[in-house]
Amino acid sequence: MEPPAQRKVALIAHCLLNQNAKVCEGARYPALVSPVIAALRERGYELLQLPCPELAFAGTRRWWAVYEQYDTPAYRAHCRRLAQAIAPRIAAHLRAGAEVVLIGLDGSPSTGVRFTSSKRDWGGRPNRPQDDWDIVPGRGVWIEELEAELARRGLPAVPATGWALDMGRYDETGASRDLEEFLDQRALAASAGRDDPVTL
Amino acid sequence: MRGWRIALVGDALLNPPSTPGVRPIDALRLLEQSAYGVLQLPPPGEHRLLLAVIADQIAEYAHHGYAVVALGVCEEPGQGLHWRRLAPLLRHRGVALPPRHLVRCQGDAEVESARLTAFLQAYDLPPEEQRRWRG
Repeated sequence: MEPPAQRKVALIAHCLLNQNAKVCEGARYPALVSPVIAALRERGYELLQLPCPELAFAGTRRWWAVYEQYDTPAYRAHCRRLAQAIAPRIAAHLRAGAEVVLIGLDGSPSTGVRFTSSKRDWGGRPNRPQDDWDIVPGRGVWIEELEAELARRGLPAVPATGWALDMGRYDETGASRDLEEFLDQRALAASAGRDDPVTL
Repeated sequence: MRGWRIALVGDALLNPPSTPGVRPIDALRLLEQSAYGVLQLPPPGEHRLLLAVIADQIAEYAHHGYAVVALGVCEEPGQGLHWRRLAPLLRHRGVALPPRHLVRCQGDAEVESARLTAFLQAYDLPPEEQRRWRG
């Protein structure tokens, strides 16, 4: 008899399901980022939407910012509160043996996974020319705090990638290719590891 | 580009359980077609801090010109909306309770899809509120 299919859960950056949460001028879709949702649903992932830390902290009318501007004690404390709110749901899935992945937002100062945005001298009036920031390897502040909260609870690191929405010039085709490669690699890894499940 | 409309969505609508003989409606597709962003509610259970976090986000939208609705499921405990806890959290933040629509998951998918689409397309803020906030 075939064992039951492993449950698959995708933790997704808030704005992938709700572009209204994006910073001023940052929304690329009216509602949800359909290529991400389609790729996940086609592969049988349940969706678990993360809270948006920037919206709850700085509001719907906030300007854009870089990592250094959000790297403050108050913002990190806010992110920790959000992480404590969502961590029990993530922990329940991990402890039940689900395959969990995290899809963040590359280039975001908060939700970046592979890349975040950086500019040490940004501040004051936001009148800089377009693309006048650097994209650097690294996590955003929210993802750092979320991963730290999961680690504090003794949970394993969740395989993660980012949808390249905030990298400057947006390339939907390239972002789709990256995401699908990541998900297909996860499928291969999961099928290889089914005889050796991680016990939490 | 943003759609200015948000739906609080019960988890069972976003991640419908697979039930033999029941074809669930594709709520995400319908929401996208009507340009609603999604705010996912957790499944039934105790989620005090998470619901407070969600209420904060709803308040931010409701106070700045976004239309907010809530979509639940008839067959779920509390319709999957956590209304007994969420409603006082919203009132405490000065937010009028969003209009609610309940989907019958055991019902005919085409009928339920048409009902949901009609609800989503009919709702928005009054025109003067839209002009004030959305330019």
